[in-house]
Amino acid sequence: MNSLFHTNIRQPLMVLLLIASSTLIANAQDSRIQTASLDHLAAKASESVDVNVDERLMKMAAKVFSDQDADERKIKKLVEGLKGIYVRSFEFDASGQYTDADLESIRTQLRGPGWTRMVNVTSKKDGKLEVYLLFHGDMVNGLAVLHSDEKELTIVNIVGPVDLDKLAQLEGQFGVPELGIESQKPKAKNEQ
Amino acid sequence: MKTLLTTTFIAIVLVAFSAPVQAKDDDFNSVVKMIEQFYKVKHQGIPFLATAGMKVATTAARIKGGQAKRIAEAGSIKLAVFEDQAFDGDFIKFRGSLNGALNLTWTPLIQTLSATDEEQTYIFLRSAGDKFNVLVITIEPREATVVQVTVSPKNLALLLKDPEGTGKAITQEATILDQE
Repeated sequence: MNSLFHTNIRQPLMVLLLIASSTLIANAQDSRIQTASLDHLAAKASESVDVNVDERLMKMAAKVFSDQDADERKIKKLVEGLKGIYVRSFEFDASGQYTDADLESIRTQLRGPGWTRMVNVTSKKDGKLEVYLLFHGDMVNGLAVLHSDEKELTIVNIVGPVDLDKLAQLEGQFGVPELGIESQKPKAKNEQ
Repeated sequence: MKTLLTTTFIAIVLVAFSAPVQAKDDDFNSVVKMIEQFYKVKHQGIPFLATAGMKVATTAARIKGGQAKRIAEAGSIKLAVFEDQAFDGDFIKFRGSLNGALNLTWTPLIQTLSATDEEQTYIFLRSAGDKFNVLVITIEPREATVVQVTVSPKNLALLLKDPEGTGKAITQEATILDQE
């Protein structure tokens, strides 16, 4: 019996284990947008910003925000469950510094399974704003914002359960730029 | 087949559990040396700053009218200053080297580069018991600073809320004594 396990079962079991673990890793990371293809733009940009609030930092954040302070309590609730906030932004002095191929390297990922484009606004003044959500069943497990202007390119990627309202509240914090995303939550009377 | 699988399994286990050994406590000096070697520059040592955290904070508060918020824990500031030297070099290559050296023990929170102004700012974080170490590296065309401080969880919250602003404040807090 022992030798049967050694020869017939153990090897396939090991292979299965390896496949299962790599699938788990892939699932955990598929809402993370890879932006390394844009690295070369930093050499042309008047300013490039790269923000990485990864899972380790999100866990730290959950611990360091106080429950006593109303503002911090709000932020703590906001980042609860999030696994990462990543921002890449580039500002250029002249137009035409990035190409369609650069944008395509991001959009290709956002055409993958589960991703749905929820917002697609183009304006002459503000450029093109696209917001994508990653659905796993009914759950939203990730969000990506792609904002492209003549002289600007910004990618915001939030990993974990998130929606447009959360994104709107995160603007200006954790390195997330002001994107002009309107909060969907109706304002309280005293806030109006 | 069996040998191949066993070898693969052992290799995966080894990769997963053996992080390269790094001089974790000496990363500040490593970064200073890295800047010196990459840009062929020399830093000015300010040894007493290592224990002058409290004085720095008091001075900063006085200069800002007593209202300034102290970010670094007392006595935790490590500072290296490079003044009036040329920082000519491929900053994309420098960023790659810096990230490669620090990524195992530090988390890169924010990195800003400006090709036109030739400015670079890097903020790295790591936990240090119940507090946190913050490493801020600023490189400009003619000067650079490397600052390492320890911050409380409360001040880490500030840094996470506003990485760029708090990073600047940390460098300002550390260098303000030097300006006096």
